[in-house]
Amino acid sequence: MSSLTLGIAILIISAAYFFVANRASSSQRAAGTKFHSLPHYYGLYAALLAFLPAFAILLVLAIGDDLVFRSLALDFVPDEVKASKNYKEVIVMAQITNVVDGINFGEQPDWVYAAAEAWKGWDATSTTLRTILVISLSLLGGMFAYRQVNPGFRSRNAVERIIMTILAASSAIAILTTIGIVFSVIFESLRFFALVPVSEFLFGTTWNPQFEGAERAGSGQMGLATYGSVPLFAGTFLISIVALTVSVPVGLFSAIYLSEYATPKVRAVVKPVMELLAGVPTVVYGFFAALTVAPFIRSTGMSLGLDVASESALAAGLVMGIMIIPFVSSLSDDVINAVPQALRDAAYGLGSTHSETVRQVVLPAALPGVVASILLAVSRAVGETMIVVMAAGLAANLSFNPLDAVTTVTSQIVTILVGDQEFESAKTLSAFALALTLIVITLGLNFVALQIVKKYREQYE
Amino acid sequence: MNSADQSHNFATAGLPAETVGDVHVDHPRMTARNVDVFYGDKQAIDNVTLDIGEKQVISFIGPSGCGKSTFLRCLNRMNDTIDICRITGEIALDGQNIYDPKIDVVPLRARVGMVFQKPNPFPKSIFDNVAYGPRIHGIATSKDELNDIVESSLERAGLWNEVKDRLHQPGTGLSGGQQQRLCIARAIAVSPEVILMDEPCSALDPIATAKIEELIAELSSEYTIVIVTHSMQQAARVSQRTAYFHLGKLVEVGNTDQIFTNPQHEMTNNYITGRFG
Ligand SMILES: Nc1ncnc2c1ncn2[C@@H]1O[C@H](COP(=O)(O)OP(=O)(O)OP(=O)(O)O)[C@@H](O)[C@H]1O
Ligand SMILES: [Mg+2]
Repeated sequence: MSSLTLGIAILIISAAYFFVANRASSSQRAAGTKFHSLPHYYGLYAALLAFLPAFAILLVLAIGDDLVFRSLALDFVPDEVKASKNYKEVIVMAQITNVVDGINFGEQPDWVYAAAEAWKGWDATSTTLRTILVISLSLLGGMFAYRQVNPGFRSRNAVERIIMTILAASSAIAILTTIGIVFSVIFESLRFFALVPVSEFLFGTTWNPQFEGAERAGSGQMGLATYGSVPLFAGTFLISIVALTVSVPVGLFSAIYLSEYATPKVRAVVKPVMELLAGVPTVVYGFFAALTVAPFIRSTGMSLGLDVASESALAAGLVMGIMIIPFVSSLSDDVINAVPQALRDAAYGLGSTHSETVRQVVLPAALPGVVASILLAVSRAVGETMIVVMAAGLAANLSFNPLDAVTTVTSQIVTILVGDQEFESAKTLSAFALALTLIVITLGLNFVALQIVKKYREQYE
Repeated sequence: MNSADQSHNFATAGLPAETVGDVHVDHPRMTARNVDVFYGDKQAIDNVTLDIGEKQVISFIGPSGCGKSTFLRCLNRMNDTIDICRITGEIALDGQNIYDPKIDVVPLRARVGMVFQKPNPFPKSIFDNVAYGPRIHGIATSKDELNDIVESSLERAGLWNEVKDRLHQPGTGLSGGQQQRLCIARAIAVSPEVILMDEPCSALDPIATAKIEELIAELSSEYTIVIVTHSMQQAARVSQRTAYFHLGKLVEVGNTDQIFTNPQHEMTNNYITGRFG
């Protein structure tokens, strides 16, 4: 049976156990026995025990069997192939799995067919084994639960505990994934720092990643790679500042307008339209920035006698700012709305004007949420890549002039990892170091913002 | 609802065409004349005429939903904040119509202060709560003067001794009764002439209630006070005059003693003897 049909099968078994256990307890109840919990809890308990362990095993096997097959298939690869210079395990595996899947690219060596045949055999065996294992586990789990249906068994508490476990497991998945990502980034960064000194990376002012020995673009000579990340962080900082100068005031003011001044009718139209802004793919903003805004800024700058690069931090920052307006406005609007009407009444009752009420009572009370929305905007700005790639250029200039072309950390990560690459090279590994630094900075920002909020928050019940 | 619509409703059958008792007083601070209030199409106050006497406490009583809060909120135009609310008739403070388009609500609300049912201190420090009004109205010219205003307001609200050591802690950290007295202190810090109180004790325990009632009695020597209450005993204890509302109508008004001992209208009688409401 395929994994899908197996999944459906255990669902059906669980449903059956639900009915059986439910009936068992309700008929005894009808006969006058006093049960600890209501009948459907006995049913639920049986169904959960029939489903969860079997499902967990099913998941593990579905992911795990490929790994086992791969290591088994390696035995079929002749030693001389393994010894050859351009041997790559990935390629060999692709050859074998292609044959297994019936995709043929020309004639393959005999050992590939042999491995593929064996693979198909393992597949059949493992499918049968898996079917038997999962179904019997489901039946056993359900049976175990069914046997426990008796007046003294506290099935309600058991079900509550199981549900709590499922919920906790879900949040554990989120946390573990994050930890996993952070650790892999740390690990790869350490390898990078083995090649390039930390001080050069953190304080160097020239960013010029190269494959060892490659020609430096256009210079006609062999260049040395330099990994000073300062220009990238400076670029990120510059573009983010431009974006935040646009999005924070505009977003916050429109949130205030929507929640405090607009009539319900206006609000009903404007709010969804603003949120639509957030739904536009960033690549659309990117070409808007590159094709409309950047040339406009350039020509305006020229007419003022300024020297403007055709790709500028200003163009990217402005468009990015527009893109993140809805993040600020939507969240701020929600928190402003959540400020109790009683506080506004108190302010009005003392003779405050509308804007005094907003400034002195509503906004301070909404501060933590407003700061959270700004933080969200910051992380969007720092993480945004597409617009920068398209509108701000890729030149790692160290400049704080918004009219210059700059580049950012994320867009460098993209350019480093796109296209042909050698994994072991300092160039590729530098992407991890950049990512790690970015994570640390973002965490730091969050921490600082939390402290600010703690200090200035006005807490209402 | 006009009176024709109401006639089929049994509860309204006994409503008088005119308010029973004397709606006028010798020295009125505020006067309401033929006031109607509508929420959208729904009429919440129907042709109410009433004087509010200078330095008197008047209490509004009546069954839930009869329009006490609505009428109270008309007196300092708090209903302006409700979009669908519409008011006709005339309400005057010291002879001046407060619904005159030339009148600015900001100074009006400084003259007619309000204390709400649920204590609603700002999530600021105790000091800043009381100083809020004087600050926005520019009442204090110096820091010392502001300190004096805060101290005397807290003093008059009977809260000074309890909070003088923690003026810079949040007002929301006080107990419910203390919070309500803080709100009263905040209201009197702008030296209003009239204080409107909408069920100021309904969220409080008997001891805190007794404190507030004592406070109202003291304040009545300086201020004109209008209090909405569901407690007949409270109305009897704190007020000189009592107005009984029913379904948007002012049914009867008179001296508190007389209303509670010898109500003229049958509905008032039924209400105070607990037969409905
Ligand atoms: N904002 C509003 N929108 C629409 N109708 C309202 C609004 N506020 C009050 N009403 C209606 O007006 C009528 C009078 O309400 P009001 O709050 O003045 O009653 P109340 O006498 O204060 O009652 P309670 O003793 O329960 O506080 C009620 O029928 C109420 O439903
Ligand atoms: Mg009310």
